[in-house]
Amino acid sequence: MIDALFEGLLLVLQWKAFAFMLLGVGVGFWVGLLPGLGGVTTLALMLPFIYAMTPIEGFAFLLGMHSVVATTGDITSVLFGIPGEGTTAATILDGHAMAKKGEAGRALGAALASSLVGALVGAFALAVAIPIVRPLVLSFGSPELFMVAIVGIAFIASLSAEGGRGMLRGFLAGGLGLMVATVGQDPQAGIARFTFDSLYLWNGLDLVPVLIGIFAIPELIDLALRGTSIAGDVPKGQLNKGALEGVKDTFRHFGLTLRCSLIGTFIGIMPGLGGAVAQWLAYGHAAQSARTAEERAGFGKGDVRGVLGPGAANNSKEGGALIPTVAFGVPGSSSMAILLGGFFLLGLVPGPDMLTTHLAVTFSMVWTIVLANIITVVACFLFLNHLAKLTVVRGSLLIPVILVLVFVGSYTANNDYGDVLLMLFFGVVGYLMVAGGWPRAPFVLGLVLGKIVENNLYISVARYEAEWLTRPIVLVLAALAVAVMFYPLLQARRSAARGG
Amino acid sequence: MRHPLALGALLLGLAVVPQTGAAQSAPYEGKTITIVVGFKAGGGYDRTARILARHLPKYLAGKPNVIVQNMPGANSITAANHVYAVAKPDGLTIGTFNRNLVLAQLTNVPGVKYDMTKFAWIGSAASETTVLAIRSDLPFKSFDELRKSGKPLVIGATGPGANTYDFPLLLKEFLGVNFKIVSGYSSSADIMLAIERKEVDARAGSYTSLRPFIDRNLVHPVIRARAVEAGIEQLPVDENLAPNARAKAIMALRSAPEVIGRPYVMTPGTPDALLKLVREAFAAALKDPELVAEATKAKMELEYTSGEDTLKILTEVLSQPKDVVDEFSKYIKFGE
Amino acid sequence: MERLASRILGVAVMFASGAAVVIAMDWPLKAKLFPIAIGVPVFCMAAAEVLWGLLRPDARAAAMDFRLSDHLPSKIAVRRTLVAIGWMLGFLVGIVLVGFPMAVPLVVFLYAKVQGREPWGLSLGLALVVWGLFYAVFDRLLHLPFPAGWIQTWLGVA
Repeated sequence: MIDALFEGLLLVLQWKAFAFMLLGVGVGFWVGLLPGLGGVTTLALMLPFIYAMTPIEGFAFLLGMHSVVATTGDITSVLFGIPGEGTTAATILDGHAMAKKGEAGRALGAALASSLVGALVGAFALAVAIPIVRPLVLSFGSPELFMVAIVGIAFIASLSAEGGRGMLRGFLAGGLGLMVATVGQDPQAGIARFTFDSLYLWNGLDLVPVLIGIFAIPELIDLALRGTSIAGDVPKGQLNKGALEGVKDTFRHFGLTLRCSLIGTFIGIMPGLGGAVAQWLAYGHAAQSARTAEERAGFGKGDVRGVLGPGAANNSKEGGALIPTVAFGVPGSSSMAILLGGFFLLGLVPGPDMLTTHLAVTFSMVWTIVLANIITVVACFLFLNHLAKLTVVRGSLLIPVILVLVFVGSYTANNDYGDVLLMLFFGVVGYLMVAGGWPRAPFVLGLVLGKIVENNLYISVARYEAEWLTRPIVLVLAALAVAVMFYPLLQARRSAARGG
Repeated sequence: MRHPLALGALLLGLAVVPQTGAAQSAPYEGKTITIVVGFKAGGGYDRTARILARHLPKYLAGKPNVIVQNMPGANSITAANHVYAVAKPDGLTIGTFNRNLVLAQLTNVPGVKYDMTKFAWIGSAASETTVLAIRSDLPFKSFDELRKSGKPLVIGATGPGANTYDFPLLLKEFLGVNFKIVSGYSSSADIMLAIERKEVDARAGSYTSLRPFIDRNLVHPVIRARAVEAGIEQLPVDENLAPNARAKAIMALRSAPEVIGRPYVMTPGTPDALLKLVREAFAAALKDPELVAEATKAKMELEYTSGEDTLKILTEVLSQPKDVVDEFSKYIKFGE
Repeated sequence: MERLASRILGVAVMFASGAAVVIAMDWPLKAKLFPIAIGVPVFCMAAAEVLWGLLRPDARAAAMDFRLSDHLPSKIAVRRTLVAIGWMLGFLVGIVLVGFPMAVPLVVFLYAKVQGREPWGLSLGLALVVWGLFYAVFDRLLHLPFPAGWIQTWLGVA
C-alpha cells in the first residue's frame, strides 16, 4: 500500500496533470465564489472537455476544480451572508456575524485554514480507511441512515436556542423543515403532495433558492437597515484581526477542528445523507463545545468556532464522499455523481478494483485533493485581507450588487422564475424567524433531511418489518439521540447549580 | 436572450437581404440553435444533448452554433410545454425531454399542455430498454427459475413513474412472480449499494445504467423489455410471457416509449424543409465516427430512430382503447 | 418586534400545519402517514409557542442565530426595512418588465444613484461593471435562458 501511496503522488506531480489541476483550481475558485454558478452544474459542463485527457489528467482537472468549490464558497458566506454553495450556509451564521464586527479577515482566515485541515483529514481518512471502508459502508443500511438523520435533527433542534422555550422553537423549526420537505411527488404512492396543481412544485422545493432566501435576505435587510458598510461601526480602515489570527484560531481550537473534520468525513462516507448535512452537524458540535449557556448564546453572533466547524466539515466530507464513489461506484454526493461520469469517460470502473489493482489511481485522487486545497488556501491568503476590505465598502454600493447576486443565484438553480419567487418567500420566512428569535438551523436541517427520514423509515419497515429497531447500530444511535436531547438540559441545570 | 441592439441589427439585416425563396443555400448560416433539455446538467439526457451539440454543426449547411440550455422542472413537462407553445417554429429550437411524457399525456396528468403527435419530430438518439438484474450470488440463473421457485425477491425502487418501480410492478401483477417492491431509494445508485448490502436483492433499470454493475458481476440481467440493445438480445421479453392480451397491451404500453429513448423534437409548425434538414443532420451526426468514439467512451449507445417511426409508435400509444388506458393508469403513474 | 414576529410565525405555522394535515387526510395511507405524523406535533408545538408568548411574554429563548440590529429608533427601522423590501420587489418587477439582462444594470444604477445618492460616475460605472460580468458569465459563457420582459415582447424586439 505504501508504494501505491508514493506512486499516486508521482502520478499527480507529472507536469501535465499538475497543470490541469491548476486549471481546475482556477475554474473551481470562481465557481465556488459566485452564487449561481453551482459546483455540480459546472462539473457537468466540464465533462466534455476531459474526453481528450488521460485518466490522471482528467481527474486532476475535475477533482482540482471540485475540491476548491467548498473552500471558496465560504468566502461569499462570510463576506456577504450569501451561501455561495448549498454546502456553505452554516458558515454564514458566525462567519458573517464576524464580518459585521469588523473581523472579516479573521473569519476568512479561519474558514480557509479549517477547510485545509478538513481536506487533509478527509484525504488522510480516505487513505487510512481503505481496508475497512467496505464493511463500514455496508453495515450502514436504511435503518441506520434513518437513525443518523434523527440524531442529527434532534441534536441541532435541541441546542439551537436556549432554555425550554428555545428547545420548543428548535423542534418546531425542525418539524417545519420536515413538513416543507414533503412537498412534491411522494415515492410510495406517487401522489403529488401539497403541489396545488402547480408544475413548479411537482419536484419539490429546490434547496438553493430556499437557502439563499432564508439566509441572504435577512442579512440584506439588516444591512439596509444599518445604513453602513457590512463592518458597520468599526472605524473605517481598521479591520482588526486579519487572516493570520484566523489561522491561529484554527490551531487554538485544533481538537474541535479535527473532530469536525472527522464528522464531515463520516457523513461524506455515508452515501444518501447528502452534502448539506455535514456542515450543520459540525456547527452543532462546535456550539456544544461551549461550556456555559452564555458562551453558547454567543454562537450565531461571531464565535470563531462556528466558522471552524463547518469550514472543516465541508472539505473533509468530499474526501469521504470519494470513498463510496470509488469503492462501490455509488456516488456519495451529487458532485460525485458527475465525477462518476468522468470515471467512465476516462475508462475506469469504480468498484473493489479501485482499492486493490488500481490503488495508485485512487491515491492520486487523494493527493489531488490535498494539493488542490493547499494551493487554493495559499493563493487565497495572498489576498484575503484585501477581500476583507469589501466589508468596509459603503452599503449603498454593495447592496445592489448583493441583490443582483441573490436574484441571479436563485434563478440559475433551475432557470425558472419560480425559484426567484421561492427565494423571496423564504426571505420573508427567514426574516420573521430572525426577528422572532426562531433558530433557522433546525429548519434547514429538517428540509435537507426530510426525504431521507421519510424514505428510509418506509424502506426499513417494508424490508425488515419490526426487527430493524433491534439492530445494534440502530439502538446505539437511538440512545445517542436521547442523550443529545438531554445534554443541553443537563448542562443548564449544572451551570444553574453552580450559581450561574 | 439576445442583446436588444444586436437583435435590432440582425432584424435590420434580415429585412434588407433579399429573400430568395425556399431554396436557400444555407438557412442556418450564422444562426444559433438551442437544444432545450428537460433535466439538470449531468444526467443522461443532458449528456446526450451535449454530445449531439458538439457534432451536429458539421452536418448542417451553414455550420450554425448549437448550444444546450437546461430547463428542469416537473420531470421535463415544463420543457416540453415550452418547446410546444412558447418557442417559435423557426427551426432554431430543439427539445429533448423525458421519454415517458407520452404516458403523462395518455393518463391526463394535470399541467400537460402538449400533444406528442403534433411536435415536429426529429427522432430518437437512442433506445433505452429496461432490464431486471438480480444479485449474482443468488441461486436463480434465469427468470424462469425465479418464477418457478416462488421464493420472495426484494426489489429496490426509487418511486412510481420510474422504470425501477414500474417494470417489476407489472412483472409482479401479471407474471405472478413473488416480488416485494421496496420503494423510496433516493437514486438508482443507492439501490446498487443496498444490493451489495443484501438489503435488497434486485433492481430494474435501464440497461445502460446497470452495465457497469453487470460488467463487475455484482448483478446479472434476467428479463428485459421489448426494446433491444446489444448484448441482451437473448433475454426473455416481459410481454412475451404475458398470460393474456390485456396484460400484454399494458406491458407494451409501458415499454413503448423506451424505443424512443432520447426523444428530439422541434416546435409544431416548423417548416418541413428545415425539419428535413435537421433530421438528415441528426442521422448523419449519429453515425459520425468521432461522435461514436466519444459516446462509446461515455458508455452511451446512440443510434438514430427516424421521426416517422417515432410518430408511429406515439400514435399507437395514444390510440389505445379507454379500458386499457384505465387499467394501465391503475398501475403506472407518471413520475421521475 | 420580537414578540410580534414570533406570534405571527406561530400562528402561521399553526395554520399551515393544520391545513396540511387536513389536506393529507384524503391521500392513500403511505402518502399521508409522514405528513400527518409530523404535522400534528408541529401544530401542537406551534400552539404551545403561541400560548407561551401570550402567558409568559418575557421568557428568554435566544436563538443561536443573528439578531436584527435594534439600535435604531423603531420608526426609522421600520421605514428603512420597508424601503429595502420595496427595492427587492422593484427589482422583481423590473425583471418581469424588461428581462433579467436589462434589469440588472438598471437596479444597480438606480439604487446607487437614487437610494445611495452616489455620484453619477460611480453609479454608472458600477452598473456597467456588474452588467458586463453578468453578461459575460451567464449569457455568453453559460448560455442561460432569460425570458424576454413584457416590454420587449410588447415592442416586438424580443
